[in-house]
Amino acid sequence: MGAPVARIDGRLKVTGQARYPADTPLHNLAHGVMVTSTIARGRIRSLDTTAAASVPGVLLVLTRDQAQGQLTAPKFGTGGSTSIQPLNEERIWHDGQTVAIVVAETPEVAREAADLVAITYDHDTPSAGFDASGVEIVDGAGASPMYPEDPKAGDFDTAFKAAPVVLDATYNTAAQHHNPMELFSTTAEWNDGQLTVYEPSQFVAGWRAQLAKQLDMDAANIRVVSEYIGGAFGSKGPMTPRTAAVALAAKLVKRPVRCVCARAQGYTTATFRAETRQRIRMGAGRDGKIRAFSHEGWELTSRPDDYVVGGTETTARLYAYGAVHTKVQLVKADRNTPGYMRSPPETPYVFGLECAMDEMAEKLGLDPVEFRRVNDTQADPVSGKRYTSRSLMRCYDEAAAAFGWQRRLDAGVWKTGAMREGDWLVGLGCATAVYPTQVAPCAARVRLTADGKALLQTSAHEIGTGVRTVAAQTAAQALGLSVEDVTVEMGDSALPAGPVAGGSVSTASVCSAVLKACGAIRDKLYRAATVNSGPPATPESFTLRDGMAVLDSGRSAPLSALLQKLGTTQLEEYAEFAPEGSAPGAVEQLRQGNPGIMGGAKGPVLMYAFGAEFVEVRVHARTGEIRVPRMVGAFAAGRIMNPRTARSQLMGGMIWGLGAALHEMTEIDPRHARTVNRDLQDYLLPVNADVEGVEVILVPETDTEVNPAGVKGLGELGNVGTSSAIASAIYHATGRRLRDIPMRLDTLLQLQQT
Amino acid sequence: MPDRSQSAAVNRRHFLAAVGGAAAGGATTLPGTGDAAAAPAAEAAKSSDPRVPHTVTLTINGQDHQLSLDARASLLDTLRDRLGLTGTKKGCDHGQCGACTVLVDGRRELSCLRLAVMAQGRQVTTIEGLAPDPHTLHPMQQAFIDHDAFQCGYCTPGQILSAVACVKEGHAGDDDQIREYMSGNICRCAAYPNIVAAIRQAKTEMGA
Repeated sequence: MGAPVARIDGRLKVTGQARYPADTPLHNLAHGVMVTSTIARGRIRSLDTTAAASVPGVLLVLTRDQAQGQLTAPKFGTGGSTSIQPLNEERIWHDGQTVAIVVAETPEVAREAADLVAITYDHDTPSAGFDASGVEIVDGAGASPMYPEDPKAGDFDTAFKAAPVVLDATYNTAAQHHNPMELFSTTAEWNDGQLTVYEPSQFVAGWRAQLAKQLDMDAANIRVVSEYIGGAFGSKGPMTPRTAAVALAAKLVKRPVRCVCARAQGYTTATFRAETRQRIRMGAGRDGKIRAFSHEGWELTSRPDDYVVGGTETTARLYAYGAVHTKVQLVKADRNTPGYMRSPPETPYVFGLECAMDEMAEKLGLDPVEFRRVNDTQADPVSGKRYTSRSLMRCYDEAAAAFGWQRRLDAGVWKTGAMREGDWLVGLGCATAVYPTQVAPCAARVRLTADGKALLQTSAHEIGTGVRTVAAQTAAQALGLSVEDVTVEMGDSALPAGPVAGGSVSTASVCSAVLKACGAIRDKLYRAATVNSGPPATPESFTLRDGMAVLDSGRSAPLSALLQKLGTTQLEEYAEFAPEGSAPGAVEQLRQGNPGIMGGAKGPVLMYAFGAEFVEVRVHARTGEIRVPRMVGAFAAGRIMNPRTARSQLMGGMIWGLGAALHEMTEIDPRHARTVNRDLQDYLLPVNADVEGVEVILVPETDTEVNPAGVKGLGELGNVGTSSAIASAIYHATGRRLRDIPMRLDTLLQLQQT
Repeated sequence: MPDRSQSAAVNRRHFLAAVGGAAAGGATTLPGTGDAAAAPAAEAAKSSDPRVPHTVTLTINGQDHQLSLDARASLLDTLRDRLGLTGTKKGCDHGQCGACTVLVDGRRELSCLRLAVMAQGRQVTTIEGLAPDPHTLHPMQQAFIDHDAFQCGYCTPGQILSAVACVKEGHAGDDDQIREYMSGNICRCAAYPNIVAAIRQAKTEMGA
């Protein structure tokens, strides 16, 4: 643990041997293509499959007629991405809703036939988003168990009125899509009533339970396999209705069926990060101390489902504010249901807060770093609970030094446009990164064999985080083996139940379970080693090292000898880890599809990871082109299991933040509520040429309270705060306050003209 | 290495020959146009029915494969579904992401945009055939491991083949050039700086 080990699955990934679910070879495979609606609201008047069904090679056109009564819609919030099963529906709830699945001998025939499915609709006028008529606005608090109430403390109104320096600003964040490189797909195969689904998933244990409900069958007859996942970022967490529908299609054609969604279909048949609007009011004293803070958020959701992120849960606790007021409201429109996307609450809400912090620092004439220091806290201003550890200002100090923040101070901290180089306006900015430290129940099985090899099994998921490698490192260290001697099996619901790969829980949860299983093996080896072995050795002096059991100085035995003593050739231990404070039966609950995530602000203490991000921005004075030549992030996230994979995740996160700041936005046609840029050409993502210097600093931090592994998790920390750091730098460069992301050159050009 | 215009011409000829069949008698005869060519045109119309399978021989990683293919089958789908070479990934099917990059006669191409029938007579190299043997890694593959130039690994085969071509084209002169010429391969995990570092390393080892 703690070593920068290269990914153990690296060789498979660079040779094309890593098997992603849609790569699974299956005999007699048929191919499915989805047909999706071309309106956002209304009803299907007619659906004619005659032409499609007559194409030679077509096996099935699955519509609501065939599906009738065979698919149970999920309850929203219990692991399904939406409460509707579109193949049960006559009603169109959103653009690109699945209306049919065509199954054929080849993908070419399936696509041809899919184009021939003739549908007519009764149109209603849809509400596309925030400013459309016909939207419904409901309170976020209580709409979901994830967000029971709006955090509040003290008397905000009075404190705000009395504050000598005040800010009142509105921020907007755009709708975004995860766009993992791997297309969404489902492959389903039936064998004697046993269903196997191969699908990229962040929660195979939960999906098995979910499929059992939706197909009304025993979970014991279902297996979900997702060995490698081609990026997820939240999009493959909740199960979408396609999975059960493809399973039904395979059952009807009595053949395995693979349905790979078109990239465009991924925009509407999976989830997305919804747009938010935020109003922030902040009042401060001349001493720089914040006395009043209000954060109101509006989040878009669908008509049928109350999806809420409620990032105020984090922003309300980030600084020593004094009085706190928050309120979250949901705006229900004719759109598909949003869902988790990398730091779902923090990415949008911390953007608003950190932009406001920058603006307030300016009003106070303070260095924005010092403004954060003045308002740093080790306790929650809302509940008074303490943070188990909080190294925010250490992150600021290390990042500021590495970045050269002094340059900005030397140039006059609030003198904008002062660092011009030819046609390029240079700006430096910074912001806070924060993400709750969470952990979930996890089961793992470890088998140690006499040849000094170990097999580790858990259904947890390698979505690119490096958890497979980190789990191997953990087992290797605990059992005194080399990493190469540990084989890790993951991503299969037939394995011991692992957590959802969400909420940055994987490393902490998996390693905690692995440590427990290895500990049990070690105990057995210790007992074997101490039987008839002279003076007793203490458990403390007993170590496993290089395939040997070392009793104390001078006495050691090979593992094979100890196993022989135990009359076996292998030791196998199954362990269940449940976070402190979990309800009894947490792992069984996991198997039922309840992730059981604990931590953050939920428990008796606050568990959070922090970071500070600094960026240099160059804005072209004539064209408004925005470049980010340099980003430096310092992060403190407890124990770092593998600095190599940790750096990569944080670096990738910061680049995600760059994308959110400058590129990404799902454009919705306000007239028709349809997605306009539903491909990778028009949905802008950062490409190699957009990214130059990215430096990640890992700030040492020890926190033994968060979980047995001491791990805080960092998959989602890196992209929080980045976009506000960029907004802050753009202001420093240009003197223009941009409060909406993405920030693009056309916005700057418009500002230049006004 | 053929230049772009020559290669395009050859592609078009191959395509028409493959789709239209010999009876079409060249690119000027279109089904149903002109009375003089009525009989051949009817024949052409029949054989240009995309559902009628075409027998083609594809040379993939130095090995010939005779296949009966739907004329509409992309090289990508053919590699994956017919030949079991699933190292080539589908990320968009629209030529926008680079995940399906393969080498065709040494040039990087998007296999989703090339019909399989157009690949006849070409040398196609996929990630499975990049290294000289199954026990050895190409320097670019090793460099990607050394620099942690991937996370989920899905875009990686395309990145690696694109990177090999990028070096061979002489477009890996400096970091800026690498970034520019690797921008057709999207990495959503955003391993970009590590990809640049890997290419820098492999370039030296490739003797470029």
